Amino acid sequence: MLPLTYALRNLFRDKPRLAQTVGGSALVVLLVIAATALNGGMKQVLSASGSEKNIILLGAGSEESIQRSEVSPLLGGIAEAGVRGVSKTLGRPAASVEIHYMTYLTDKEGRKGQGLFRGVTPRALLVHPEVRLLEGAFPRSGEVMVGRLAWRKLGIPEASLKPGASVTIDRSPMIVSGVFAAPGTVMESEVWAALGDLHMLAQRQTVSCVVLRMDDAANFPDADLFAQQRLDLELTALRESDYYAALSSFFKPLRVMTWITAGLIAAGAVFGGFNTLYAAFASRIRELATLQAIGYGRGAIFLSLVQESLIACLAGTLVASAVALFLLDGRTIPFSIGAFTVSVTPQVALAGLVTGILLGILGAVPPAIRCLRPPLPKALRS
Amino acid sequence: MISCKSISKSYRKGANTVTPLENLNLEVPRGEFLALMGPSGSGKTTLLNLISGIDTPSSGTLVIDGQNIADFSRKQLTKWRSQKVGYIFQLYHLIPVLTAFENVELPLLITSLSRAERRAKVEEALDLVGLMDRSHHTPAELSGGQEQRVAIARALVADPPLLVADEPTGDLDRESANGILALLQSFARENGKTIVMVTHDARAAAAAHRTLHLEKGVLLSEDPNLTSL
Ligand SMILES: Nc1ncnc2c1ncn2[C@@H]1O[C@H](COP(=O)(O)OP(=O)(O)O)[C@@H](O)[C@H]1O
Ligand SMILES: [Mg+2]
Repeated sequence: MLPLTYALRNLFRDKPRLAQTVGGSALVVLLVIAATALNGGMKQVLSASGSEKNIILLGAGSEESIQRSEVSPLLGGIAEAGVRGVSKTLGRPAASVEIHYMTYLTDKEGRKGQGLFRGVTPRALLVHPEVRLLEGAFPRSGEVMVGRLAWRKLGIPEASLKPGASVTIDRSPMIVSGVFAAPGTVMESEVWAALGDLHMLAQRQTVSCVVLRMDDAANFPDADLFAQQRLDLELTALRESDYYAALSSFFKPLRVMTWITAGLIAAGAVFGGFNTLYAAFASRIRELATLQAIGYGRGAIFLSLVQESLIACLAGTLVASAVALFLLDGRTIPFSIGAFTVSVTPQVALAGLVTGILLGILGAVPPAIRCLRPPLPKALRS
Repeated sequence: MISCKSISKSYRKGANTVTPLENLNLEVPRGEFLALMGPSGSGKTTLLNLISGIDTPSSGTLVIDGQNIADFSRKQLTKWRSQKVGYIFQLYHLIPVLTAFENVELPLLITSLSRAERRAKVEEALDLVGLMDRSHHTPAELSGGQEQRVAIARALVADPPLLVADEPTGDLDRESANGILALLQSFARENGKTIVMVTHDARAAAAAHRTLHLEKGVLLSEDPNLTSL
């Protein structure tokens, strides 16, 4: 076996080339980390957003978008009475009548952003128990309560949405009453207001849906039966988890695109790596032949060359991981219906590491084979 | 020690075949220092490569130290070389990123010797070529003569019975060349090494016990005037 120092020192023989290998691999690894973290973050938020126990009753035909759904404002009461197995707290059924509405919010400074607004009654808290007030109070008429990440989705400074701040929604002035958390869900990037205010803002008499929280996820058939029997209401019952899963698959092409882009760039980098490493190894053909003349097998030399490339690519991986931790980890990224947090989880880091290792090995194998192929007498002459 | 019986070597060069060596016979007893002379392209390097197991003959038998290496596999040859041959090149072929010490240690890293044993052997070899004080220098920090001494220490360190040298003094000034030749002479005389050295230079050949001339792949009669036993 050739000593590791041989591989290590060979790397420093040509510093621009080393920088190229380390930089190139760092870029690819960073790209893979970013793609994995973004896809993971988006998938995570969408899968965490829907509860198995929650059932959304919405207008038949609007299964793909609650915002487009229109049902009677009386549906809340009808469903409470008509569906068995709805969870109750202190005698109050967990049924939340909601309007989901996409519109613009403007802060005091005139900065404006689009986000999802949800008109709710205090019952919403029974249906969405993950919602916790961090500051301030639940909104009364003329007030809004903002999710912890709403500022990110709206693209305005966090300070503009502090409790007490004045904002304008469409043309109506409102006061921020509080800030809430709903860890890991899209609700965190929503703005919640009193149901009555949303009727006015959205200029509609109907509501979007009624969300029921069941005692048990297995009670779904009861709600489904209700929706099917009440033909007059033209309803569909959807598990909240299924609704978000469908949204998630709606974004799948986007995720696939991210992967294809990352894959293409990585493939380009591997081919670039072939050339860089080929140049590096080819400049040492005589030296590699000398090692064979001394008695080193081609396997041992091959291993040393792969080691060399692997060290460079692992250094690149380290750089990429550091950059990812500083620049990506914890960052929230807005997307159409909310925002999600990018986190460099162990799985994401592992994907980066595997990429670095694959780059190191795949990039070195063809050039190493090519440079070890010439017969010894010829290589010694070169 | 070396017994070549009707060995030939040909290379395919595109459509035609080049035969640098044809039906060559050569006997070299153990402990002999043999010089090979001949014009450029006469097949000296080719012969040296065959004797040292770097290349294999197209036909013939090649018995070295009791083993016919003519039909060894590539793997067998690699192992055989590490134990039996020390190769000295005209251009030294030191590894530029390694120090003199590390270069000399290379052949020992394939053996099962411990670190301390390796160290002792490397120091002994460097001492023998008079370069103990340069052991931490890299090749770039050494003169040509010093580089060749390191290369000799590297060829010698694993204690192979056979040393082959392809124009070892070809790139050196007279004084350095004499030093190298004196070293080779002493290895043959005091350590019983068998040495085959290719050279252009009649004065270098004079350091050997015997000189053979190679012309177009054929060994010509020895010139008795150059023999200095
Ligand atoms: N690997 C090879 N492929 C083709 N021809 C070769 C090869 N090696 C040597 N030759 C040819 O064999 C002849 C002898 O070469 P060589 O042994 O290097 O001569 P010398 O060392 O005496 O100058 C030359 O004509 C050379 O071109
Ligand atoms: Mg030659």
